[in-house]
Amino acid sequence: MKRTVLTACLLVVPLTSRSEEPRSPIEIYRKLEYPPKDENFEKGWKDRVAADYDVINSADLKSLRAALKDGDPFVRAIAAYALGVRSDKTSADTLAELVKNDKEYVVRIRAVEALALLKMKPEVIESAKKDPDPGVPFVAKLVAGQLKSETDYAAEIRQAYKAGIDRGAMGSAVVGKPAPDFTVLTVEGKPFQLSSVLGKKPIAIYFTAFDG
Amino acid sequence: MHQQAQLRLKKDAVEKLGAQTYVVIALDTYRTRIFKEENWLLGGGKGPFGKEKSIVFATPLSDPAGHASAIYGVSRRALRWGSWVENYPHWYVIDQKGNITYVLKPTFATPTAYQDDVDKVIKELEKAAK
Repeated sequence: MKRTVLTACLLVVPLTSRSEEPRSPIEIYRKLEYPPKDENFEKGWKDRVAADYDVINSADLKSLRAALKDGDPFVRAIAAYALGVRSDKTSADTLAELVKNDKEYVVRIRAVEALALLKMKPEVIESAKKDPDPGVPFVAKLVAGQLKSETDYAAEIRQAYKAGIDRGAMGSAVVGKPAPDFTVLTVEGKPFQLSSVLGKKPIAIYFTAFDG
Repeated sequence: MHQQAQLRLKKDAVEKLGAQTYVVIALDTYRTRIFKEENWLLGGGKGPFGKEKSIVFATPLSDPAGHASAIYGVSRRALRWGSWVENYPHWYVIDQKGNITYVLKPTFATPTAYQDDVDKVIKELEKAAK
């Protein structure tokens, strides 16, 4: 009997251990319960935020480069953006290929953004202005100026991600409660802390997308 | 963008209240500056903002990692231009004690819904100023 139990334990333990191995940030992103699709707007956004931070901050470059060829377009897209933010210049050729040939516009857009952050392949960004999907030329025109700028926008974004994010604080802005503090940047790149203006005058804040 | 343009039309009312207005976008400072200084989306059209070069009255703020946006619960909830880190638009009004008094999630239900939205925000700013 004892031998049977021991044998069973030996069989189960390795399987259990394997299933508890920490997954890589890209793997977690790939298996999000609610991936970034239209129908998931209201669901799983905190997981998406956390996964995004993990990919940008801690995914190793090798896995990010491999993810540029992933079957999931959202994984290719986040990997492309992360490699731009991480200033991985060795990915420039692959990113250029994605801009030219990826079937999914979400990937082409992210690859254009990444090349602009790397300040490389201006001819590819130029060609993206003729992409048949209207979102790609829009973003290509928008980021083209970054190529000529002396500001390291990738470093700016890295710095912002580096601060990390407290999951418990996400979505904590509620009517009747004190406005949660935050630090963002002015267009000159200087820190702006909400608490520096709170309690003095009435304030309206509009959080929005570029076209919202 | 229409919301910001409409706010600009109402800037006298905002200034009369002594209110501060900010617009936060989850993009780097370069794109935030373009958002503020160039009328990409409404310029050139026949609408009321077609001839304006800059239509943003509020102080633009860049949230490159979407941190503030996530704290306020609006981040990663819109697939705009394929960039899923963008924010779903929301207005927040904060009173002189630093408390949130009003939240508005625009519905964009009609082509001119932004007019009512901005009127509501200004009304709430009036209350918050008392």
